[in-house]
Amino acid sequence: MAYYKATKDPTTDIRERTYVPELLHGLAVTMRHFMRNLFFPRDANVDVLNRKGTSQITTVSYPEEKQVYPEGYRGLHRLVPRDDGKPRCVACYLCATICPAQCIHIEAGEYETQDASGESRVIEKFPTSFVIDELRCIVCGLCVDACPKDAIRMDTGLHTPSEYTRSGFVWDIPRLLEGPPVSHPSDPWMRRPASEAPAHQHLEKHARIGDGLVQLKLPQSAPAHPVRTEVTSGPVPVTKFLRD
Amino acid sequence: MRRSITILLVIFAIIPFTFWCLGWAQYRIGGLLFEWSSDGCSLPFFGHLCDTGSNLSWVSALVFNLLIFVMVLATLLTVAERKWSAFTQDRIGPERARIGPAWFQKHVSLGGLPHVAADALKMIFKENTRPTAADRDKILFWLAPVLAFAPIFALAAVIPFGPTVWVSGYRVPAMVANPDFGILWVFAIASLAVYGTSLAGWASNSKFALLGGVRAASQMISYEVALGLSLVGMMVAFTTVRLPDLIGSAAAGTGQSQYLWGASVLGVDVGLPAWGIVLQPLGFLLFFAASFAETKRAPFDIPEGESEIIGYFLEYSGMKFGTFMISEFVEVVVLSALITAIFLGGWNIGVGDIALAQGFGQSHPVWYGALCAMVFALKVLLLCWFQLIVRWTFPRFRYDQIMTLGWKILLPLGLFNLFLTGALVLLDPTLHWLALAGLLEIALLVALTLTQAAKAPGAAAGHTDAHGLPAAAASAHH
Repeated sequence: MAYYKATKDPTTDIRERTYVPELLHGLAVTMRHFMRNLFFPRDANVDVLNRKGTSQITTVSYPEEKQVYPEGYRGLHRLVPRDDGKPRCVACYLCATICPAQCIHIEAGEYETQDASGESRVIEKFPTSFVIDELRCIVCGLCVDACPKDAIRMDTGLHTPSEYTRSGFVWDIPRLLEGPPVSHPSDPWMRRPASEAPAHQHLEKHARIGDGLVQLKLPQSAPAHPVRTEVTSGPVPVTKFLRD
Repeated sequence: MRRSITILLVIFAIIPFTFWCLGWAQYRIGGLLFEWSSDGCSLPFFGHLCDTGSNLSWVSALVFNLLIFVMVLATLLTVAERKWSAFTQDRIGPERARIGPAWFQKHVSLGGLPHVAADALKMIFKENTRPTAADRDKILFWLAPVLAFAPIFALAAVIPFGPTVWVSGYRVPAMVANPDFGILWVFAIASLAVYGTSLAGWASNSKFALLGGVRAASQMISYEVALGLSLVGMMVAFTTVRLPDLIGSAAAGTGQSQYLWGASVLGVDVGLPAWGIVLQPLGFLLFFAASFAETKRAPFDIPEGESEIIGYFLEYSGMKFGTFMISEFVEVVVLSALITAIFLGGWNIGVGDIALAQGFGQSHPVWYGALCAMVFALKVLLLCWFQLIVRWTFPRFRYDQIMTLGWKILLPLGLFNLFLTGALVLLDPTLHWLALAGLLEIALLVALTLTQAAKAPGAAAGHTDAHGLPAAAASAHH
């Protein structure tokens, strides 16, 4: 490199004044990038900062290559199934109430009181439709916190996949219900008297609650028809369901 | 490795071979047309073209040089702009429009080439809207894209894309027309393009479009002065305004095909060719800068200003907008061809031109012509690439900077260049002194580019204090 005397003021530097040498320097930079990226193959490592090779391309070609998410990433929600394949959801509306994006829509159905399965004695409601609009969902996880039945979880590790139509983002129970079935000893349907499982198993499963110190309230003789009391004194007529 | 080999194969085999085939077909069909028309052809509606002694070989040049070479290259440049800009910015660029048979799982992206078809289909089938405010001048609104496109396209008519060679007994040129006024046609027609842009701005009846049109008009008119003046030096040096005469003939040793200092080594002539860039490096720089302003591309894209300020074709949609866009790329190709013909020696390689013309050119004139056309086309392609790289390197000039550059820098420099050229040609009509002056200019530029300013002793010039002031200024400030 040869040097020549120049003052500190760039406006008196002949390179800055004639403009062309600086333009050529700039061109050299872009041409270097161009040549490296044109002639040499791109390293497809999704960890962009650790890419090797002459090519300097930093693109992650998305559908084929996906960024590795951090370990804490939980992803989209799902509805948790019971052992019998139905959702654990009891249509309590807590998730729909707490949802800040108001993306959950639940329609509750009532179990037939004459249901042979006997579930009506322990569960009142089930969702006839449970719909989440994935375009509105902000994946905040408040629904998971609110759920008293462990019926909705965020552990899929996925994010919302692409769709061609907006209606494709409205997910219903068949789409949301996935994963292995989950049952807890405290589930009401585990306590039903018609269960074929012997009572001592229930006791064992509840041992963690208090090692048998807690006396389980096993429904012994539930009435066939729950007593229905109509309460009309409030501002709005409210139908109240009472049990036993 | 596979990618490098593929790219090298495309650059050094496929593209040259395509150009060679195009040139060969152009000369062959031109010869056939010449023969047909000189025999007294008959045409249904264009009977006057078949008058006695007529020569229809220009139709071949029109089809192959303008419709195929210029238009296809301009169309490909629309994708190349995006792809090449991606490479300069460390991105992949468009590659999602893919083609391939249905059973082929992973369709090939072909370097983004299918995007040409996708873009064309999109432009053609998009809704062609017109703002209600533009109802005032429907005809002008419709006419503006045509006026922007047609003059640019017509420029290429006088550019020779190859030498005039003997094809089965007929002299077939590779240009549509070879008028006596040559370059003057380029100036005259190029100045018409400003009507398209300003009409687009005016007929849209929109304030933003109008401002864009006014910016375009002022910029293009300002730079036409420098554009013309920068070429006068070449006209003076070769005493002609006809482009084929500027390029000259290697066999006759005229124009840019001659050697200033040359010798024959083992039958191959080597030396310093009298190319325009050697004789007129300053003129080349001025013309290049002015031609950028004429194409309205960065760093002179203030009429369009696609990223923030809004340009003259704001109100256009569909294929009308597409016409504006493609005319920009056609202008890139045509100006590249013009620079090639005037400053880069046309179809000359620079080494062995005379030996090639006298040997191969005499024995196989059509193949020689195709080879020359290939060299010309490759130079055009290189210049197109260079223009695109420039566009993605330099930031946009401010409006006052554009006017300053055009009127206060390019115009005086052009006058100085013309004076210097005239004086040196008067002193030495063999152009040797002119070439020495040119080499001196090039050497100065290279020296300035390869050196860097010496660091000032003591305090480094680059260091500033916390207030962003230079150290000396800061101490004075305190």
